[in-house]
Amino acid sequence: MNVYLPIAEMSANAFVFIGMGAAVGFLSGLFGVGGGFLMTPLLIFSGIPAAVAVGTEAAQIVASSVSGAIAQYRRNNVDVKLGLVLLTGGIVGSIIGVQLVKILRQIGQFELFLALSYVLFLGVIGSLMMIESVRTMQKSYAGQAPSMRRPGQHSWVHGLPFKMRFHRSKLYISAIPPLLIGAFVGFLAAIMGVGGGFIMVPAMIYLLRVPTNVVVGTSLFQIVFVTAVTTVLHASANASVDVVLALLLMTGGVIGAQFGAAAGSQLKGEELRFLLAAIVLLVCLRIGWDLIAVPPELFSITAPGGARQ
Amino acid sequence: MNNLRSKTRICSVLATASVLITGIAPGFSAFNCQSIISAEAQTPPKKKQKTQKLKPETTDVKTDPPAPAPAAAPPVSAPAPAPPPLEPERVEADVSTRSIAVTSGYSGAEIVVFGTVENSRQPSAESGYYDVIVIVEGAPSALVARKKSRVAGLWINTSSFAFNSVPGYYAMASTRPVEEFADVSTLDELAIGFERVRMVAAGQPETRVSSDDLFQFKSAVARLKQTQNLFLRDDYGVVFSGRSLFRSTIQLPANVPVGPLTTRVYLFKDGKLLSRYQSRVSLAREGVERWLHDFAFGQPVLYGIFTVLLALSAGVLASALFRRRAL
Repeated sequence: MNVYLPIAEMSANAFVFIGMGAAVGFLSGLFGVGGGFLMTPLLIFSGIPAAVAVGTEAAQIVASSVSGAIAQYRRNNVDVKLGLVLLTGGIVGSIIGVQLVKILRQIGQFELFLALSYVLFLGVIGSLMMIESVRTMQKSYAGQAPSMRRPGQHSWVHGLPFKMRFHRSKLYISAIPPLLIGAFVGFLAAIMGVGGGFIMVPAMIYLLRVPTNVVVGTSLFQIVFVTAVTTVLHASANASVDVVLALLLMTGGVIGAQFGAAAGSQLKGEELRFLLAAIVLLVCLRIGWDLIAVPPELFSITAPGGARQ
Repeated sequence: MNNLRSKTRICSVLATASVLITGIAPGFSAFNCQSIISAEAQTPPKKKQKTQKLKPETTDVKTDPPAPAPAAAPPVSAPAPAPPPLEPERVEADVSTRSIAVTSGYSGAEIVVFGTVENSRQPSAESGYYDVIVIVEGAPSALVARKKSRVAGLWINTSSFAFNSVPGYYAMASTRPVEEFADVSTLDELAIGFERVRMVAAGQPETRVSSDDLFQFKSAVARLKQTQNLFLRDDYGVVFSGRSLFRSTIQLPANVPVGPLTTRVYLFKDGKLLSRYQSRVSLAREGVERWLHDFAFGQPVLYGIFTVLLALSAGVLASALFRRRAL
C-alpha cells in the first residue's frame, strides 16, 4: 500500500514504515529505551531526508513516551518540580538546536553534523554499556553478587548556588546542573531526533544523585514535553515534520512495544544491556563508515533552504 | 512564488507566445507554428511585435516549412493521397491527462502524448519518414548542488554551486535517438537532451556560461536527476501507429516536484524542424494531501501543535489499550 508523504515529498510503502516502527518499538519495549537513536538513522538509510527524519522522529517520541510517562506519574514516580526545571533547560536547548539545524541545512552541513553527533554519542554510550554489561556478566558467572554502585556523599554539584528543594527526590541541590542537563538533552533532541533518555538517566543518577525509582518517570516526563516543543519548533522553523510518516511510525511503534516488553521480561538485565550495546555500536559503525568510505556519488542536490530536492 | 518567477524567466519563451495566442483565440488549444503564423496575421501589431521579440526562433520555423515541402515529395514513391498543391505538414498533439492530482495514494502517473501529422506523406507507420520528439518538462526551481571531498579522512561537502532554475523533471522521447536526425545547433536551440536542459546559474542571467565549474555541476545535476528518475530518456519512445498517428507514453514518478508541466512536441523530417506543438499538464495536490501541505506551510505552528496532539492522543490511546490488555 503506497502512501504519499506530504513533507518528505515521496511515495512510500506504508507497511515498510509501520514495520520499521514495529521493529524499533519492539527494541524499545525490550530495552526500555526511547528508540529515537535507532529510528532516525533507519529513516535516513531508507531515503527520508535527514532533517525530515529528525523532525518527524521528535513527534513519534512524544507518542511513544507519553504512555510511559502517564504510567509512571500514576505510580508517583515523577518529581514534577525537578521535571519542570529540566524542562525549562530543555526548551532553551531545543530552541538553540532547531536554529542550528536551520543554519546547518542552509550551508549544507547538517548531514555531516548529524552523522558526527551520532558516531560520537552512540560510540561513547555503546562502549560504556558494553564494558559495564560484560563486567557484570563475568562477575555473575564467577558466582559473585553484582556490586551495587554506591552514590557518594557529596560532589562539586552540591557546592553550586541557587539551591532548590526537590521533595520527591529528597534532594537539596542547585538548580544549575538540572537546567544544564535539561538544556543539553533538549539540544540533542532537536538536532538528533532522540528523546535523550540515554544521557538524561545516567546524568540524573550519577550527577544529581536522584533516587533510581524517580529517575525514569521524571526523565520520561521531561522527554514528552521537550519533544513536543521540539516538534512544534521544527515544524515552524524547518517545515520538516511529516505527519503522515509520524502516524505510520507511531502505529508500528505501539504494536512493537507491547511485544518487546513481554520479550524483555525473559532476559536478564545485563544480557539486555549487552544486546543493546551491540546494536548501538553497530549503528555507530554503520554511520561512521559512510563518513570515511569513498562515496559512490560525490555530488548532491538540495533546494536552497535545505529541503530535499 | 519563487517557482513562478523563475518559471517565467526560463520556460521556453514559446510558452509566453502560446499564452498570447491562446489568449487571442480561446479554445484554440492545439496550435503549431502554422497557427502561430495565422494567428499572428490576425494579431494587432502591438502584440505581434511582442511575440517576435520574445521568440526569435519562431522566424526560423516560419521559413522552414515551405522549404522541405517540395523536397518531401520526390524521394519516396509518394502515394496517391498527396494532392498537387502540397500542404506543409503540421503536427497536432494532445496529452491524455490535462491535470494530475497528487493525493494521499499518489504513487506516480503515466501520461500519453499522442498526436497526428497533418498532410502526412509517409506511406506507412514503419517507414520512418518523420521523426518526432516529445519533451515533458517540470516547473523550474532553484537548487544547490554540492560536492564532497576528503577533509581529514572524512567526506565533507566542500564546494557548492547555486542554480536559480533547473526543471524539476525532464522526460524526452523520440522515434529514434535524437542525435541521429537532428543537428546539434537545433538541439541546443530547442533544449533537447540532458546536457542541454536549461539550467540557470544563480547570479548569471546567461543560460550557457562556459566555465569548468558550471559544466561540472550541471552534469552532476543531470546525472543525479537521472538516478532519481527525474530525467528520463526513451530513444524509441515515440511510435507511429499509422501514416500520421503517433503516441508516446511518459512516466511521471511519484517524486516529480509538484507544479505545472510543459509538453513540447517537435516534428522533424530529414533533420529539419517542420512543426511544433506545446501544451501544459498540471500536477497539483488534491484532497487531504493539499490540505496537509497548505497547513504545514501556511500555519506551521498550528500544524506542529496538531501533530503533537495527534501523537499525544495516539500514545494515550495505546496506553489505554495496553492497560485493558494487562487486566
